[in-house]
Amino acid sequence: MNKHPEQLRDTLSPHEVLLEPSGQFGQDLKNFRAAVHRAAGRQTSQPVPFGWLNAAKRRQRRAQHRVMLAWATAAACAALLFAGTLPLMHHPKAPVTVQVHQSPNEDTALLEQVDTAVSESVPSSLAPLQTLDNGTLDDWNTTTSTNKETPLSKPEKKNVSQ
Amino acid sequence: MVSTELPPLARAESLLELADFDEVVRLYRPRIFRFLMASLGDRDLAESLTQDCFLKAYTARHQFRGDSSLATWLTRIALNLVRDHLRSRRMRFWQKTRDTALDIVDVSDWIPDAACSPEETCLQQERVREIWRSVEKLSRQQRTVFLLRFVEEMELSEIAETTGMNTSTVKSHLYRALRVVRERVLGKPEGEQ
Repeated sequence: MNKHPEQLRDTLSPHEVLLEPSGQFGQDLKNFRAAVHRAAGRQTSQPVPFGWLNAAKRRQRRAQHRVMLAWATAAACAALLFAGTLPLMHHPKAPVTVQVHQSPNEDTALLEQVDTAVSESVPSSLAPLQTLDNGTLDDWNTTTSTNKETPLSKPEKKNVSQ
Repeated sequence: MVSTELPPLARAESLLELADFDEVVRLYRPRIFRFLMASLGDRDLAESLTQDCFLKAYTARHQFRGDSSLATWLTRIALNLVRDHLRSRRMRFWQKTRDTALDIVDVSDWIPDAACSPEETCLQQERVREIWRSVEKLSRQQRTVFLLRFVEEMELSEIAETTGMNTSTVKSHLYRALRVVRERVLGKPEGEQ
């Protein structure tokens, strides 16, 4: 299996020769190999102690426990997260609707305000018409039951309300 | 594609070899430890992963069909352990690692040729240290291929089988790794020796 690099060199193509260094660099690589073999040999020269693999078994068990613990922690975190978001999922936030509550009192107050701002006093030249209107209004109401508005008061009311 | 099928006799031998697991540990522990130590640069970690490797092999020994040699199978398990460890170390980046890191001076304090002069010995030791430093700088795949080739002396087809790469990919990684190491040690690219 392990041909010596020098023997292997004869069977290699020119490109592969570069993978089998010779000369000074080849000698350096041999020294490196020898140094590594020697450094490793110091530790492995003693016979294998009894129960040598027990430490590996313990490490394997610890690793399995760690993995189980990690999965249990992850599952607990996921469950807590789910439980935390559950109320939000079942009770969605109601859309905010702007409801303007206006009471009738506010309406009338607003209308009166508009009325006072818009209405004008009747000019003096039209004062007789106003008195006439006030005087004939009652008569008109009594004679015509269907039409309740006087022809004279109608445009004035319009003006007032404008 | 390289055939990874062993001849029937070799397969039977591998299966028989695995039956006596104590013997398997005795035979292959130095090799696996050496590879792990060189890959990780940490003695204690290499020892722990060697134990893990043999425990995994023992647990999965019934799945071993003898398609590859036992050494290749064990090295593949060790390689997977290295990959998993490096991945988990990246995840636990805040932890201090390499408390028992291998001292490169400790590795390179011995040169086999005793006939060298002290100056030459120092020079060789310094070169071994440079190789060690440059191997640590390699990418994981380049380092794996480099160590399997030049420390474990595996053939390219065996490395391909162990790592699950194509032979051409192995060659490519080995070529790049060698270029980096050579430039660092000799200070010049290949072909300029």
